Amino acid sequence: MRNMDLRLQSNSSLFSRLFIGTFWLIFTITSLFFIGVILGLLSYSDLATIRQVLQYEEFRYAIKFTLLTSIAATSLAVIVALPCGYILSRYRIPGKVVLDTLIDIPIVLPPLVSGIALLIFFGPLWGDSLAKIGINVVFSKLGVVVAQWFVATPYAIRTFQQAFNSIDPRLEKVARTLGYSPAEVFLKVTIPLAKMALIGGIMMSWARALGEFGATAMLAGITRMKTETLSVAVFLNMSIGDINFAIATAVVMLFLALSLLIIVKTLVKNEVRL
Amino acid sequence: MTPLFQVAKLNVRAGKFTLQDITLTLNHNDYLIILGPTGCGKTMLLETITGLRKPTNGKIILEGQDITYHPPENRGLGFAYQDSLLYPFLTVEENIIFGAKAKKQDKNPATLERLHNLAEAMQITPLLKRHPHSLSGGEKQRVSLARAILINPPILLLDEPLSALDPQTRYAMRDLLREIHSQEEIGIIHVTHDFNEALQLGSQLLVMNEGKILQQGSPLEVFHHPNSLFVANFLQCENIIPGEVRTQNGTLTFINEARNWVINYLPKNAYPHGEYVDIYLILHAWQIKIANSLDLSPRQPNSWQATVKKVILHSSHVEIACSGKGNWNINASRNEWQKLDLQVGSTVTLSVNTEDVHLIYN
Repeated sequence: MRNMDLRLQSNSSLFSRLFIGTFWLIFTITSLFFIGVILGLLSYSDLATIRQVLQYEEFRYAIKFTLLTSIAATSLAVIVALPCGYILSRYRIPGKVVLDTLIDIPIVLPPLVSGIALLIFFGPLWGDSLAKIGINVVFSKLGVVVAQWFVATPYAIRTFQQAFNSIDPRLEKVARTLGYSPAEVFLKVTIPLAKMALIGGIMMSWARALGEFGATAMLAGITRMKTETLSVAVFLNMSIGDINFAIATAVVMLFLALSLLIIVKTLVKNEVRL
Repeated sequence: MTPLFQVAKLNVRAGKFTLQDITLTLNHNDYLIILGPTGCGKTMLLETITGLRKPTNGKIILEGQDITYHPPENRGLGFAYQDSLLYPFLTVEENIIFGAKAKKQDKNPATLERLHNLAEAMQITPLLKRHPHSLSGGEKQRVSLARAILINPPILLLDEPLSALDPQTRYAMRDLLREIHSQEEIGIIHVTHDFNEALQLGSQLLVMNEGKILQQGSPLEVFHHPNSLFVANFLQCENIIPGEVRTQNGTLTFINEARNWVINYLPKNAYPHGEYVDIYLILHAWQIKIANSLDLSPRQPNSWQATVKKVILHSSHVEIACSGKGNWNINASRNEWQKLDLQVGSTVTLSVNTEDVHLIYN
């Protein structure tokens, strides 16, 4: 009996080891694969070529244009996401589930589909009316900002909503009793409390805008030195066979993304806890 | 003299829950305890008083002025929640003067002097430059109180201020509240589910359940004379005996299955119904006297014999469970218990003063 118990115990311990061992194996292979892909990209470019590409007028235009459009799109996304995230977090509104799902649509939709939808909206539907007041979105630089904004905003709303959800509303209530109006409470209590999570959300939205390609290509088109963001530059140069330019741009984008990720992780790690 | 604060027929709705016809008065220097179980609407009432919730009808009057629909920032009432709720991005000092900052008075010498006086009184001066995350529960609660008081509110509203504290800190905090109440000369409304806090701090007590006020009065009055079965149970009356009242040989008698009791009066609220059934006799454990069976004749009115079934020793008293014509819970002082020299199984004589017998009609 005792022997049988021991055998059962050793069998169960062998199964546990196999189970955890398999998890470790999958984890190691996946990590190595990701590292391999990144290192592969880096190994295909050399510093001298990158330096050379950095001097190209086209590259300089693309990076400047990408930073400008993505910062503009992210700023607009923040302006929209602050009230939307707050309302969704704090108020019970009829049809909230529907609104919540609508916000998620651009996240799950392939960017190309978002682009077509935007093209129809700003083209056949409203293009003429907007043109009369001097606003041209389709195949223009403004189109790039609109496409990036459309893709980045849902991320901003979602992260801001979560940031506000994490704040005890009673902290805001106490401030009201201490003499602050709702607007003052938002600026002096809610924002400082959510600061780190909000910055994290802004960074994630910015990263989304920086790398946006599909919706931009559909709405603003792929025009060299006009609507050429870094992603567009990679696509354009790959398609004409300028591999060096494409890879150097890709490496720069990789470092930009990495820097943003490091900032986000540091902010989340150092977040002030209640 | 105009009362400091009045709430008249206040009704508040939140989903399916409603506060119904809440009426209360707070005079200058009153310490009002609102007592009730979790979910009875105590916090909701405080939030309505501060203006954080809108009532459906009723009136809130502060120093003769109707403030029912004033926004919270214009009411100037001090409010502290159970779990301190300090701002983690501010130092202790900044937290305390946060209310003065709203009125741009945070740099005012008078404000700074008040800050330091309060910090001194609450023994938090060494903490002023620290951030809340490094404070203990009791320290946080003191800072939260200082923050609520700094703005010189006419009334201080406290939502379960002692509940989250360990016993030792709770005693210190209770003394501090008593001190604040006498020194600051402000009215306090303190909600709690702990009756001991009501006895130790309150000058007035209001018992609530399911959004309604069940009983109001001084804490001792409510403790001695609960007006309903709910209040008696909530105040943990140890002996609640169902029965009915009859007149026997010209004497009012409370009768239950086990024995008859001589009583002096009928429960007030039994009269309008003209019937004397569904009546409960309420006896606190300390109102039943225990004696060695030889020392007291069981023939005296309201005395009977019983057997000791269980004895539990506490630091301040002894809890004794007896059985005989029903089950009885009795408290005796340790000194008294030692003198009696009794054990489990001993026969004792229990007795109750007729004036201690309290009846309620449910």
